[in-house]
This record gives sequence, C-alpha cells and structure tokens, in this order.
Amino acid sequence: MRKSYITIIHELGKLLLSIFLLSVLVFTMSRLAPGDPLYSYYGDQVEKMGPQEQEEARERLGLHEPLPVQYARWFQGAVRGDFGISYKYKTDVKEVIAGRIGNTLLLGGLGFVIIFGVALLLGLFCAWREDKWADRVVCGIGTVTSCIPEFWLSLLLILVFSVWLGWLPSSGAYSVGMEGSLADRVRHLVLPLTVVVLGHLWYYAYLVRNRLLEETRADYVLLARMKGLSGKQVLYRHCLRNAMPSYLSMMAIALPHILGGTYVAETVFSYPGIGTLAYESARYQDYNLLMLISLMTGGLVIVGNMFAKVINERIDPRMGLKTGGMSEEVKD
Amino acid sequence: MDVLTVKNLSVSFYRQSGEIEAVKNVSFSLRAGEILVIMGDTGCGKSVLCKSIVKLLPDIAKVKTGQIFFQGKEITDYSEKEMQKLRGNSFSMVFQNPMTALNPCMSVGEQIAEAVRLRQPGISRKDLKSRVTELMELVGLDRPGERAGQYPIHFSGGMAQRCVIAIALAAKPSVLFADEPTTSLDAGVQEQILELLLELRRKLGMAVILITHNPYVAAKMADRAALMRGGEIYRIGDAEEIFEKIIHNNHP
Repeated sequence: MRKSYITIIHELGKLLLSIFLLSVLVFTMSRLAPGDPLYSYYGDQVEKMGPQEQEEARERLGLHEPLPVQYARWFQGAVRGDFGISYKYKTDVKEVIAGRIGNTLLLGGLGFVIIFGVALLLGLFCAWREDKWADRVVCGIGTVTSCIPEFWLSLLLILVFSVWLGWLPSSGAYSVGMEGSLADRVRHLVLPLTVVVLGHLWYYAYLVRNRLLEETRADYVLLARMKGLSGKQVLYRHCLRNAMPSYLSMMAIALPHILGGTYVAETVFSYPGIGTLAYESARYQDYNLLMLISLMTGGLVIVGNMFAKVINERIDPRMGLKTGGMSEEVKD
Repeated sequence: MDVLTVKNLSVSFYRQSGEIEAVKNVSFSLRAGEILVIMGDTGCGKSVLCKSIVKLLPDIAKVKTGQIFFQGKEITDYSEKEMQKLRGNSFSMVFQNPMTALNPCMSVGEQIAEAVRLRQPGISRKDLKSRVTELMELVGLDRPGERAGQYPIHFSGGMAQRCVIAIALAAKPSVLFADEPTTSLDAGVQEQILELLLELRRKLGMAVILITHNPYVAAKMADRAALMRGGEIYRIGDAEEIFEKIIHNNHP
C-alpha cells in the first residue's frame, strides 16, 4: 500500500515537471516566432500609432521586459491561477476558453468516443474476415474516405444536407435563442462531427486491423485453437486483449489531437471551439491564450499516457518489468 | 486398436511462385497408448503433417489427397465445427517454444481454466479451480494456488512447458501431438519433460506423436519410429528395429 502512495506522488511530480518544462518551451518559442502581439490587441490601429505610443502600449502589456522576467511574472500569476488576459479578446484567458470548451468537449469528445469505438469494431471485423471480400470492401472504402480532404468533404456535406435538402444547419453550435435545446445542439453537431469522424476513423481502424492480424499469427493462437476455440473466439478472447495496450497508448496520444484538431471542421462550420482558438492565438501572438491552451493539451497528453500506462500494465505484465511497474508486482 | 490412421496424405503449399509439396503420400497408423516418434531434418514436413491432421494449416496450405481416420471414423472432411469439438476433446498439442505458445497477457491459471471449460462447459467455479490445481500438480508445478495467478513471463522455459502440457491434458486427449517439445530447453530440463511425458502416458494412457530431430530423444521415447525426408516417410517400424538399422548402416 505504501509503495503505491509513493508511486502516485512520484507520478504527480513527473506530471508537474513536464508541464513546467512545456511552459518554458512554449513561452520561449511563441516569443521567438515572428509577428507583433500589438496587432492582436489593437488590430490595424497599430499602424496609426507612433513609435512612442507603441512603446507605451508594450509597457502596459508587460512586453518590454527581458524574456526571463516576463516568464517569472507569468509563472507567479499562473501559480495563483491567473493566466493573464487575452490580447485579442481583452478579457481573462480562462473566460475566453470557458466560453468554448463545452463546444469542443461536445464535438471533439463525442468524435473521440465514436472514432475509437467504431475503429475498434471495424478493425475487429476486418481482422476476422481477413482478405475475404468484406474486408477488402471495407479497406477500399476506408482508404478512399481517409484521402478525402476535410474542407472539401465539409463543403460537400453543407451543399447536400444544408443547401439542397435543407435538413441540417450549415453553421454555428446552436440557433440563436435556443441555447438550451438539446435537439438543436445535436442538429448543429451532425455535420461537423461527421467530418471529424471520417477524417480520423480509418487511420485507427486500419491500425487495429493490422495489429490484430499480427497477433493472429502468433504461436499462442495455435495453442488456443487446439483447446477447441474457433478462430473468432481466439480473436476476441486472446488477440484483442493483447492488441489493447498499443491501442490504448494510441488513444492517449490522439486525445488532444482529435479534441483540439477539429480546426477545419470548426472553421468551415463556424463552430466556436478551441481548435480555431488555438490556431488564432498562435497566428496572432496572443501569448497568454496560447500558453494556457498548450498547457491544457500538454497536460491532457501526459495524464492520458499515465492512464494508458497503468491500464496496459494490468493487461500485459511484461510492460511493468523495466520500470519496476506502477501496478503491484507479482511475487515469485 | 489404432486410434489414428493416415492414408496416402499429401499436403501442398500454394504460393505465387507455384506449388510446394510439403507432405507426399504419407501413410501410418498410431496404436492406442503408444509413442510414435517422427524423426527428420528441419523442413522435412513433420510439423505440417501434424497440423494437417488437426486441420490447423495456414490458409495457403491444402490437403491434396488422402484420408484420416480417428478411432475408425473418417475425419478427412470434417467441418471446422466438428474439428473444434475433436480438438477440444480428443487431440492436444505441445509446442516447441513454450514461451510463445502461452498467451503473454493471460495468467497461466486462466489459460488452463479456459481449456477445462471448453471440455466441460457447465463446470462450476469450485470444480474448475480444483481441476486446474489438479492439472498443475499432475505436470509437477509446485504451489499451484499461487502459481495459477502468475503470467508466463514469471516462468522459466521448463515450467512454461509444463503449463502447456497441463493445458494439453485438460482435454483428456486420446492423441497428444508433441512438436519438438524439448528443442528450446536445456538438457536437464529436457530430461525432466521427457520423463513427465512418459509418466503421463503411463497414467493417462494416451497415444503420443512425438516430433523430434534429436536422436537421443527419439531413442529414449519411441515405441515405434517413422523417419521422414523430403515430405515422405521412408521408413517406419518398431523403434528397436529402426534404430538397429540406423546404427548398422551408419546412416539415418
């Protein structure tokens, strides 16, 4: 029991250290990138400002000090939960994000669940029917859909379902005045969600398929078949379990990728989410906003990986051996 | 009485480059309770012969001609369903490398229990547990209660092979195929495993087809022996007679 407390503290320490290093890295890199944050704050008016005024503005935003001092200032605030203001939106960055995170969790989170759920089923199906016609058809369709550019698919969907058929709205997260209606939300979600899911689905399904096929060629499959299991039973009971660790690790890494990687869908469907926000904050030197978004995504990856690691060690005892393991070791 | 009879069996692999004949016109029979050793060099078709009898050949391999009888009944054209029943109840196999033959992500006890449950579908949890313990004791694994919860990685090669044998015995097989069961083990452990197989045969009365390329193993184990080369059995008979000839001709 005591050992597990120590590992938890140990892992928490690692988490904090990683996030600290990430913050230093993002802080430095964002300031090295070309561009002027004043544009983010004042827009085109910057061009009408004299050098004196620009200098004053910089001072007001605390951008005139050397980098280490700026970082120290930011760090002091961050520890107290104050991440500064967004230059573009001129309010606390937390508020900016809070206004959109719900939308992103809905689109990206739902997309994540659907992608990884369906990818697993598709991969299983294809592995079960390896090289039979059903597998070939699915593989063919999958390859084609994964090659369709997202923006083109988005426009096509808008054309068909919004313009021609008029079934679904083409933009936004909800209709004005219907913020609380679930049905309305869902109607707005369908098209962007389709784009997000189709953009990623096959990549992961194909991964599952190939990983499973690798497993079906392992020796233990023969022993399992000799017990009297059918090929399908071996696939479910043995191969799937053994392929899960790589799948879970993949899921952990893909978490922010899918959650925040909804940029194209958000842009085309004017869906207010974090993906667009992240892109804009980097594009317009909105430093504080960029920092907070990066730290959130980074933290998400690290936490996701920790979960994947713990679960994987439960599934596959070989994984914990090198590091001593986070799960309890079996005594010999 | 013969438990297993193979008549004129030919097996080929079909690749894009053409047909490869792995087993050519092989005939033999296996008597109840005897150990038949099949000897031959690597790649002579020993393993393919076994796998074609239990119908676990890879997709590119096909049985071309021949008949297989099990306890007098022809099983050549058995469907996959019927073969599953046969594999679970009458045939078992032990493999060359026990470390890869066991599923690394499943505890050893679970893997043995799975085999027991397939043989006795309605078995209660209590009976299942005691049967697993019994099997583990039978193959000489000490502290079965504790050992059952461990994973293959916690076992040495010889111990892992005992687990594989325990799984094989769960089916109470009439025929045990042992495909080079000691090749990946060191000499001392090899001896233990061979003794174990002899003892189990005595206790349980199953027939064993033992594949090996090791003359010592063959001489120690065989009641009868078959010599294979290039996919064919070119000599088969009582062990003493066969080994006598080998020594006389100074030629395998």
